[in-house]
Amino acid sequence: MQIRALLRTTTFRLSALYGLIFAFALVALLGLVYLRSAVYLTRRVDGILTVEADALQRAPPADLRARVDEALTLNGQSNNVFGLFGRDGARIAGDLPALPASLTPGGRPIEIGPTSMFHAPARLIARRLASGEVLVVGRDVGQLREIRAIIASALIWSGGAVIVIGLACGVAFSLAPLRRLRTLQEACAEIAGGELTRRLPISGARDELDLFAGTVNLMIGEVARLMGEVKGATETIAHDLRTPLTRARAQLHRLQQSGAPEPAEIARVTAELDTVLERFRALLRISELEARDRRAGFVATDLAGVIGEVGELYQPLAEAGGVRLSWSGAPGAVVEADPKLLFEAVSNLVDNAIKFTGEGGTVSLGLGEDPARPRIVVEDNGPGIPAAERGAVRQRFYRGERDRLAPGSGLGLSIAAAIVGLHRFTLELEDAAPGLRAVIDCRPALS
Amino acid sequence: MARILVIEDDPATAAEIASCLTAGGFDPEQSFDGPAGLKAALAEPFDAITLDRMLPGCDGLEVLKGLRAAGCDAPVLMVSALGDVDDRVTGLRAGGDDYIVKPFAPNELLARLEVILRRHRRPPSAELMLKVADLELDLVKREAARGGRRIELLPMEFKLLEFMMRNAGQTLSRRMIFEAVWEYYFDPGTNLIDVHVGRLRRKIDVGDARPLFRTERGVGYTLNAD
Repeated sequence: MQIRALLRTTTFRLSALYGLIFAFALVALLGLVYLRSAVYLTRRVDGILTVEADALQRAPPADLRARVDEALTLNGQSNNVFGLFGRDGARIAGDLPALPASLTPGGRPIEIGPTSMFHAPARLIARRLASGEVLVVGRDVGQLREIRAIIASALIWSGGAVIVIGLACGVAFSLAPLRRLRTLQEACAEIAGGELTRRLPISGARDELDLFAGTVNLMIGEVARLMGEVKGATETIAHDLRTPLTRARAQLHRLQQSGAPEPAEIARVTAELDTVLERFRALLRISELEARDRRAGFVATDLAGVIGEVGELYQPLAEAGGVRLSWSGAPGAVVEADPKLLFEAVSNLVDNAIKFTGEGGTVSLGLGEDPARPRIVVEDNGPGIPAAERGAVRQRFYRGERDRLAPGSGLGLSIAAAIVGLHRFTLELEDAAPGLRAVIDCRPALS
Repeated sequence: MARILVIEDDPATAAEIASCLTAGGFDPEQSFDGPAGLKAALAEPFDAITLDRMLPGCDGLEVLKGLRAAGCDAPVLMVSALGDVDDRVTGLRAGGDDYIVKPFAPNELLARLEVILRRHRRPPSAELMLKVADLELDLVKREAARGGRRIELLPMEFKLLEFMMRNAGQTLSRRMIFEAVWEYYFDPGTNLIDVHVGRLRRKIDVGDARPLFRTERGVGYTLNAD
């Protein structure tokens, strides 16, 4: 597994970030402890030194040397430093070899390292006596320094450890998701390669990767379904177009053989080719409908208006074919729709009904009774469509058995279904016993 | 003889259109791509132009916009394999005068071309009374009469008759009639328009009166003045 890929994972970045924040907080905490304790201890030492220096300074000058010697003698654990220097800075008594240059009498305490006469680092304070001599009082601060060093090293080590542990955790936590991503990637590559039956693995942890994989799986399922549908539609189209084309070709061949073609024969070939063109046009129309921007052209449309217009347009045609066409519908059933497209859909349904009902039949065009659920109902008393075929109408480019012999593209129901789908309405074909009832439900209950 | 510029990239279709125009009494000139077509159209006056919507390397719409921008006002018939209403609207908005979808019958092309040519030469006037032979249509009172005899018309029949009278002498295809009168642009299929024209015809051409309606086989109808 590539390190760079690992470093880029979200899990790693988050773990590393948390590690850094934790390390920073720890260092801040320890730093605070260090500062507070070091300052406190130093101040305490300084306080003791000041008290001692003041006490010695107040002693009578004559006693001073004796007091210093006494203090030095009492200093059994050699914790304290004393020094008495002459006006010229020369050492008179005590365990300091020389007066440190940075030490000013009456000034702030300073710290010095171990000297030839004192074994440890010490903190010193100086006082000028009335005699002009300089008195130095000091204290061993070796312990103080050790404590400081301990705290400082704790600071460095723990901070470093936290950072290292944070990074390690980051890597460890990222490995598993990264491994899962890899398997998802591999599955996706296979799917992209055409394995539409493959699905993304789901770990069962119900985490975000599982959710995502589930969504992608749904999508692949839909794609596979559509691919299957397109394949079926392509086969249907090929079959439907091949028949008239083959016939036209055979007729042309015959004309070529005969030498002197009759106009009637040429007309027959032209008619075959017209059928092909008409089907092509209908197929193109369906593709256009499916590719349309859904909401373009949608307005509040009164279904009664659409029904009336279709009825008026088709009444003469029905009459000419000996079919009784009636339409009715009270205004008020208003839906959001493209009125021109809805008109086209209903036209196709009515056209089919007139065509297949035949002479003496009746076709009625109306609205559903429930005002809360606007529906357009086209009903005829013709031969109807077999129950097994009714469901198939929802497929793209569907041509029923009965369409194979009838004039026209035979794709009227398919066009109506495409328009209905575009509106997110539903088209149901029911048995009108006898005949066919086509229902466009303009406010279908959400499934 | 009206000169027509045919801008069409497919040589076979172009030849087909040209021969159909010649047969219809026009003088066609061909141009095989957008820039050449634009140049030809601006170089000399044409009475009308047929313009393919999809040309190699450039959209027919661009050619049309270029023509209109250069001040050419010759009527343009857009020829397209795109049949959607939206494409049609875009074509007409860009300055096209009519729109015909491939594949089309040669007569359909001629009929549409004649209508836009005529409309260009004589824009529709605000006439209040249309007359064809002894047939009169009063657009104000919305009444029709033939030889002084009133004819009762349904609203759609009135609209259909008005369209046919305004284009008297022109061959009108079924699709043209459906588009102009009903204002729908899908394929009505079957013989839907035939039955509507047939009804109207039975109301107009009655008795011994000289028939005004003429069926143009395979195309549509003509309302004849002479």
